[in-house]
Amino acid sequence: MFNLAILKDTVAIHPSNFGLPPEQALIAELNKKYANRVLHDVGLCISVFDLSEVGEGKVRYGDGFLWYKTVFRMVIFRPFTSEVILGKIKSSDENSIRISLGFFDDIYVPAIYLPQPSCFDPNERAHFWIPDSELTKPHELLDTPTANRMYIDTGEVVRIRVEADEFYDDEPGPPKALEGVAAVKELRRAPYSIIASIAEQGLGPVSWWNGAGAEDAEMEEG
Amino acid sequence: MEVLNPRSALLSNFEVLELLRDLENDHLARAKTAIRIKKEEEASGATAQPKHSATIEITENVRTIQVEAIQYLTADYQPTSSQSPSGITQLVKDLAGYELTKAEKLQIVNLAPTQPVELYVIVEELEDRLGDSMETVLSTVSASLSATPSQPINPSSPPPVHPMSSSDTMGDLSLQYPSDAFNDGDIVNDMVFDDEGQGVGVEGDLDKEEDDD
Repeated sequence: MFNLAILKDTVAIHPSNFGLPPEQALIAELNKKYANRVLHDVGLCISVFDLSEVGEGKVRYGDGFLWYKTVFRMVIFRPFTSEVILGKIKSSDENSIRISLGFFDDIYVPAIYLPQPSCFDPNERAHFWIPDSELTKPHELLDTPTANRMYIDTGEVVRIRVEADEFYDDEPGPPKALEGVAAVKELRRAPYSIIASIAEQGLGPVSWWNGAGAEDAEMEEG
Repeated sequence: MEVLNPRSALLSNFEVLELLRDLENDHLARAKTAIRIKKEEEASGATAQPKHSATIEITENVRTIQVEAIQYLTADYQPTSSQSPSGITQLVKDLAGYELTKAEKLQIVNLAPTQPVELYVIVEELEDRLGDSMETVLSTVSASLSATPSQPINPSSPPPVHPMSSSDTMGDLSLQYPSDAFNDGDIVNDMVFDDEGQGVGVEGDLDKEEDDD
């Protein structure tokens, strides 16, 4: 789930921090810049792990900062494809289930990655799975008795397998000078999102699989 | 800014949890120092402390990610809080004989499967590759999980972040020890006062800076 990335950057230390040992000040500055931010094609930065190389602090003409060239390692959150992780259901809608890890929220399970056959129940606002069923049409599935349905409710702990991740670099485009009034603000896409699946045996709500020989474990699912 | 290597090493959840806990302990200790110094200054009236000794400001994003990640890793449904360094080393050694890929071993450490179905999800073609040894693998995993959850605050271990603290206020280091017992506050206060007297002057700090360069 977590890995180390080696990054190189130039950091400025303000004179008010000259009383600190340089490593502390540098780590604090780096964390200020990177913590909880997404680096494109790298992942979500958690925290600086350590400093590998630090050059001499140099003063630039015009300001009193000490500039250090640093090479450092950063703890990155980026689950690899087909990794299995635990998360909690945050919300569901017709097309997908959204899962949260507390510090990271943009994990989606689109409807195709749900165990088949499953359907979305608009009354409960939750997806449910009917194990061992031959039905495929939504209206047939919605007719089944509720006792047979395995609901996937908000707040449940689930095991998911990561299928893919996407980075979206939100570059502000050139200013539109056509209309003087501010243009409509576009929907902001998440800079980093993960697509996951709960379609296999062993995935999905942990409570489905707990206890040796739970009745679902014997279902022959893909 | 340059990315030299986007993935140079894999980390287990336990290692990340340890790192975050250390950072949080440092931060809490520093925050306590700052509050204590402030109270003393207020109590002693207008003490001439025009320049606040250099403190590290911790921005919101750092604290947010630390707190939330620690919350996630210490959740009940995660095995991370009941793991220990020796347990994990032992587990990895035991898993070495089974021809598992690095990714599979890492996942076993992170998820600590105790049921066959959990192992099935992690390891592909479980029956072909492990067959009968499935049970042994599962029991090895349970053996590596200790019964008691690890302590969140470790007051006795010295902080690894300050190897040399000559120019830093000694108050930070010395307060790391009694962080769990406020009874020692009186003694520590004196120490803080003594150290505040040294090296706080602007000239003193600049001298140190040149020496380091």
